[in-house]
Amino acid sequence: MEQDAPVGVREADTAASGVWRFVPALAPLVVLAVFAALPLANPGPNTVRLLFVTLTLVAMSVGWNLLGGFCGQVSFGFAVFYGLGAYTTALSINGGIPPMLAFLLGAAVAAFASLLIGLPTFRLKGPYFTIATIGVSEAVRVVMTNVPWTGGASGYRIVEKVRFVQIHHYYTGLALAALAVGISILVRRSKFGLALIAVREDQDAASDLGVNPFTTKLLAHALGAALTGAAGGVYARYAAFIDPEGVFAFSTGVAILLMSIIGGIGTIWGPVIGAFVYGLIHEEVVAYFPQAHLLIFGTLLILIILFEPAGVLGLSKKLFSVFLRRKKN
Amino acid sequence: MPPILQVDRITKFFAGLAALKDVTFDVEPGGIYGLIGPNGAGKTTLLSIIAGSLRPTGGAVMFEGIDLTKKRSFGAAQVGVVRTHQIPRPFKSLSVLENVEVGLRFGRGRGAGNAVHETMQILERVGLAHAYRQSSARLSVGDLKRLELARCLAARPSVLLCDEVCSGLTELESGQVLDLLCDIRRSGTTILYVEHNLKAIMKVCDRVIVMNYGQKLTEGLPQQVQNDPAVIEAYIGKPAGK
Amino acid sequence: MSAADLLNLFIAALLLAGVYAVMSVGMTIIYGVMKIVNLAHAGFLMLGAYFVYEAHERFQIDPLLGVLLAFPVFFFIGMFVHWLLVRRIPTSDKPTLTSLLLMFGLWLVLQNLGYLIWGNADRAILTPRTLSSFELGPVSFPTVRLVVFATAVVSLVVLEFVLHRTWFGRSVRALMQNSEAGKIVGVNVQRTAQLAFGVGIGFAGAAGGLLAMLYSFSPDFGRPFLLRAFVIIVLGGLESFVGVAVGAVILALTETFVILVLPASYQPAIAFSLLVVALVVLPEGVAGLWNKMRRWA
Repeated sequence: MEQDAPVGVREADTAASGVWRFVPALAPLVVLAVFAALPLANPGPNTVRLLFVTLTLVAMSVGWNLLGGFCGQVSFGFAVFYGLGAYTTALSINGGIPPMLAFLLGAAVAAFASLLIGLPTFRLKGPYFTIATIGVSEAVRVVMTNVPWTGGASGYRIVEKVRFVQIHHYYTGLALAALAVGISILVRRSKFGLALIAVREDQDAASDLGVNPFTTKLLAHALGAALTGAAGGVYARYAAFIDPEGVFAFSTGVAILLMSIIGGIGTIWGPVIGAFVYGLIHEEVVAYFPQAHLLIFGTLLILIILFEPAGVLGLSKKLFSVFLRRKKN
Repeated sequence: MPPILQVDRITKFFAGLAALKDVTFDVEPGGIYGLIGPNGAGKTTLLSIIAGSLRPTGGAVMFEGIDLTKKRSFGAAQVGVVRTHQIPRPFKSLSVLENVEVGLRFGRGRGAGNAVHETMQILERVGLAHAYRQSSARLSVGDLKRLELARCLAARPSVLLCDEVCSGLTELESGQVLDLLCDIRRSGTTILYVEHNLKAIMKVCDRVIVMNYGQKLTEGLPQQVQNDPAVIEAYIGKPAGK
Repeated sequence: MSAADLLNLFIAALLLAGVYAVMSVGMTIIYGVMKIVNLAHAGFLMLGAYFVYEAHERFQIDPLLGVLLAFPVFFFIGMFVHWLLVRRIPTSDKPTLTSLLLMFGLWLVLQNLGYLIWGNADRAILTPRTLSSFELGPVSFPTVRLVVFATAVVSLVVLEFVLHRTWFGRSVRALMQNSEAGKIVGVNVQRTAQLAFGVGIGFAGAAGGLLAMLYSFSPDFGRPFLLRAFVIIVLGGLESFVGVAVGAVILALTETFVILVLPASYQPAIAFSLLVVALVVLPEGVAGLWNKMRRWA
C-alpha cells in the first residue's frame, strides 16, 4: 500500500542490541514449541477445533502475504486455490491416495492454477489486477458449482477408513502453519524476497536493474497458492465434507486478504497475528451475532486504512516504542 | 575496435507523433558520450529504448551482437546495459544497502560472492557508505542521485546510460558526480550521458551527439559541437530579422 | 428458434442494457473524477433497493416515485461518506489500492447493516405492474422492464445535460480529463469531488431501486451487479458515458444470447469472464480500441 514509512524494513534503523539480538531467531521456535505442547494441557475438543482452523488460516494468510504483502499484488482470488486444494485432496483420499500425498497434490493443482491465472493477469498493475482477481474468483466458483463430477452444488463427502483422531489433525495443521511461516522467513531473507519487495516498490525500476517482474510474481503466486491449496486439503480432510459455495466463496478470498491486512501486511508475523484475530473474532462473534463479523471486519479495515496501515503489528510496535521511551525518561 | 553500441535508424511514434526518426550513431567502448538537445528532442525516449524500457516503432540497437530492442529492461540489465532515472526511483522500504543489493544480485554476473563486502565497496565509491543502514526514503536529492548510480554500478554494466544525473544538484555536488563518472569510465564502463547542463557535458564528454525534434542533428567533439551554428540555432533560435 | 423469439431476446437484451447502464453510471462518475474504484457501490445498490422497498411497504409509495426520492437521499448520504471517509485518503491520477480497500471495508459495513436491519430473507417488490406484460406485434415483454428501461434512459439523458450544460458538469468533465489542469483553471477540486461522489452514490441508490423492481434482493444483492458494472466500465472505456452505454449493450447482449449455447446456471460466469478478458485484452476498453482503429485510418 502506498505510504512513506517503510513496511517490513529488513535491517534499517531497527537493529537491537544485547540479548535482544537473539529474539528474532528464537521466537518462532518458542512459539512452535508452545503450540506443540498445547495438547498436554487437555483443552476441550472445541478449543482444539478452533486452534486447528486458525492454524490452517495461518498457512493461507502467510501464503497470500508472499504475493500480496511482500510483492504488493493484492489478490481477492485465493479462494480458488483453497477450493481446488480441498477438492483435489478430497478426490484423492477417496481414490485411495494417502493423506500426505493428497495434500501435496492439492498444493500442486493449486499452484498450477495460479500459473494459469497469473499469466494473463500479471500484466495488469495495481487495482486492475485486484479487480481481475475478483472476476476470476467468481467465475471459478460458478463453474465449480455447476460441474457435475464433483457432486456439484450439493457438495462432496470424504470417506476415510481410519478412525478420526482430532489431535492428528491438529498436528497436521500445526505442521502446515509452521511450514508456511518457515517459508515466509526464508523468502524474506533471500534474494527472491529482495526481488519481491523491489517489484512492489517500483516494478519498472526493479526491471531496469535486472529483476524479471513476471517470473517473480508468478513464483510468489505459486507458493502462496500451494500453501493455500494445502490448507484447503487439510481442512477438507478434517471436515470430511465440502461444497463449492463454502470453499470457493468470495468471502473466503476476502477473509484470506483481511487477515494479512489486519495483522500487518508485508511482514512475517502480521499475517499470523491477523489469522488469530480473524479466527477468534469469527468464531466468537458468529456464534452470538451472525453476520456481525462483516461489520467488525469492515470497520477494522476502514480504521486500518485510515489510521494504521501497518495493522496490529504496526500499532504494537508503535505502542512498544512509546513504552520504551517512557521507561527511559 | 568495433563500436560497443550501434544505434541503427531508431524511430518511435507515439500515436501519430514522431518522437524519434531514424536516429543513428555508434558508441565506441570506453568513452563518455554526451547526448544533448533542447527540450522535447527525444533524448530520454532514446535512452529508454536503448535500456529496453520502451519498444521502438522501427530500427535496432546492437550491443555485442544482440538487438537490445528485442529485450525488456531486465534482459538488457542482465547483459550489461543499465540506466539511471532522471527522477530517482529508490525502493523506499529498503535501506541504502539493500537498494544496491538489488542491482548486485540481479544484474550482470548475478552477484556471486560476498554481497555485503562488494555492496559496501560500491557505496564507498559513490560516497554513500556512511548511510548504508539508512532508509532510502529519507535521502537528500544529491544522495538519491548517488544511490541511482550505485545501484547501476552494482549491476556491473558495460554500458551505463545516465539520465540527467546532475539536475537538481549544486555546483559542488555536480562536480563530484562528474568526477565519479570519469572514475567509472576509467574502470572500463562506457557511458552514454543525457544532460541539459552544457558545462557538465563539455567538461566530461569525449564525444557529443546533438538531437533536435527527434532527429540527430550532428555529432562530434565537444568543442566542434559547441561552435556549430546549427546547434546554436537549435537551442537559441535564429537571430531576429535574418 | 423462430425470428419472433430472437427478436424477443434482442429486445430483452436492450432493456437489460438500459438497466445495466444506469447501474454503472454511479461507479463511472466516481472513478472518472477521483480514480476511486468504489466497491461500496454494491452496498449502495443494495440499500437503494431496500429504501424503495420500505417506501412501498410502509408508506405505499409507488416504486418509481421511490426511485425518484432515492436519488436526493443517497446524494446526501454520498456527500456524508465523502466527508467522513473519502477525503481523508490521498488520491491521485491513477487508482490506488488504498482507496479500493477503504471502499471495500465500507461495503462490508453496509452489507452487515443490511443483514442487521432486514435479515437474510429475499425480498421483492410486487405491484400490479410487475405481473403485466406489454405486447407489440410478435414481441412481448414485462411492463416493468419497459418502465425501468424508460427511467434509465431519462436519467442518462438528464445526466448528459448536467454534464454539458452546467458549471458542475463542466468541472466534472475537466477533472475527469486532467485533475491538475482542472485545478489550474480554477476548478474547486474538493467541492467538485464531494459533489461528484454524492451524485455517484445518488445514482447507485436510485439504480438499486430500479433493480429492485426487476429482481428479488437480499443484503448480498450488490455483488453480481458490481462485477457487471466493472465489466461495463472497462468495456466501454472510461472516456465518456457513451462508452457506458456501449459496454452495457455488449454485456447485455452477450449474457442474453449465451443462454443459447450454455446452460443458464453458467450465466453469472459470463460477466466475470468478460471482465477478465476485457481487462487483459482491452485495457482501454472498446473506446480505446476504437481510437486506435481511427488512428490507423
